[in-house]
Amino acid sequence: MPLIVMSDSSSLKAPKSIFHPLPLSIANFVSLIRFLFARVSYERDTKIINAASFTVEREDHTIGNILRMQLHRDDNVLFAGYKLPHPLKYKIIVRIHTTSQSSPMQAYNQAINDLDKELDHLKNAFEAELANRPGQY
Amino acid sequence: MESVSYQRFPKIKIREMKDDYLKFELRETDASMANALRRVMIAEVPTIAIDLVEIEVNSSVLNDEFIAHRLGLIPLTSERAMGMRFSRDCDACDGDGQCEYCSVEFHLRAKCITDQTLDVTSKDLYSSDHAVIPVDFSDPSDANDPFDHTETQRGIIIVKLRRGQELRLRAIARKGIGKDHAKWSPAATVTFMYEPEIHINEDLMETLTLEEKLSWIESSPTKVFDIDKVTQQVVVVDPEAYTYDDEVIKKAEAMGKRGLIDIRAKEDSFIFTVESTGAVKASQLVLNAIEILKQKLDAVRLSDDTVEADDQFGELGVHMRGG
Repeated sequence: MPLIVMSDSSSLKAPKSIFHPLPLSIANFVSLIRFLFARVSYERDTKIINAASFTVEREDHTIGNILRMQLHRDDNVLFAGYKLPHPLKYKIIVRIHTTSQSSPMQAYNQAINDLDKELDHLKNAFEAELANRPGQY
Repeated sequence: MESVSYQRFPKIKIREMKDDYLKFELRETDASMANALRRVMIAEVPTIAIDLVEIEVNSSVLNDEFIAHRLGLIPLTSERAMGMRFSRDCDACDGDGQCEYCSVEFHLRAKCITDQTLDVTSKDLYSSDHAVIPVDFSDPSDANDPFDHTETQRGIIIVKLRRGQELRLRAIARKGIGKDHAKWSPAATVTFMYEPEIHINEDLMETLTLEEKLSWIESSPTKVFDIDKVTQQVVVVDPEAYTYDDEVIKKAEAMGKRGLIDIRAKEDSFIFTVESTGAVKASQLVLNAIEILKQKLDAVRLSDDTVEADDQFGELGVHMRGG
């Protein structure tokens, strides 16, 4: 929603927040930053070998479903599924179980790489189609 | 450990293209990809929209928040949006979102001084950036009279003023996505349908009389079939008009002709229709959606930390690498 500020326009800017640098070592700081920006966490299944869950923060069905379908194309993947644990929580959990020829992590990376290449191809195909329509754009 | 690729090579064919409308075929991929593209086009391709309104004078009949809401919904040309910053992660302005990298300023001043009602429209908004202006909906094809400012020159009405009423404001437009607020969605509608594959059982069809054929054709709510005037055979005139309503199948069964028709959805073939609000061209919207989806995929790659941790502590990792 647009924020409404009535006529007196003298100070729209909020006072600048004061930054207190914490006594962190460089290594601590780097790991803190990585922790804050890491979107994916990986958890190996305790009972089943070659099975794992990937928790992907701030993603939904858009990523979950293409990832799941791409994993299904992989012959070494025995099970691949995703769930949105709660409609108000913005995260998904992708579960992968593979054969001993592969690993969940390998399958996950492979799926992302393949999807990325597919989208590259799609982009080129679409641009080629646009170029095929002379005089229009 | 080198693994085989399971990559697909989808095909695209553009059928119809206008600035704000696009119809294309997407083949050799699955519904998850088609749906991801649709979802991204609607909710995740960024545009620019008014997000903050500072009202100086408002003596119109609409209250301030009502006008602010209406301003927010005006589509602005957003070719710049992909290269712009979100004001929340803009470091040039302490995140208050008022610098040139993440915002565009608009001014509006209107006062009615005659007895004639004054329409305040999107054309009265003055932008600080000539690339970001309210979308022009006037159709160039009916602009036959360049001096006719009544019909062709209208924008989107914001408020109407009577004699003595005034509206004066400053507005800040920012980059955003449809997920945060629908005003940022560049898409009016994005739909896709499975391409239908229709097979008529010709032998069974020939057992019908002309009247039966006609009544069977009539049973379809959309015009999918017709009769060939010369041969009196039933022909498919427009397979894509079929809405998967099953009416013709039910009709065939009611006539005791089960298997007269076989209609199946091709699982890997989609027909997309994209309508844009005018913020970006429909063709650009598709390209932006592909780009955004790529960025999203990049963002969910496993970090090196995670891989290292698994390499070190994963019993299986050691085992598999012959350790």
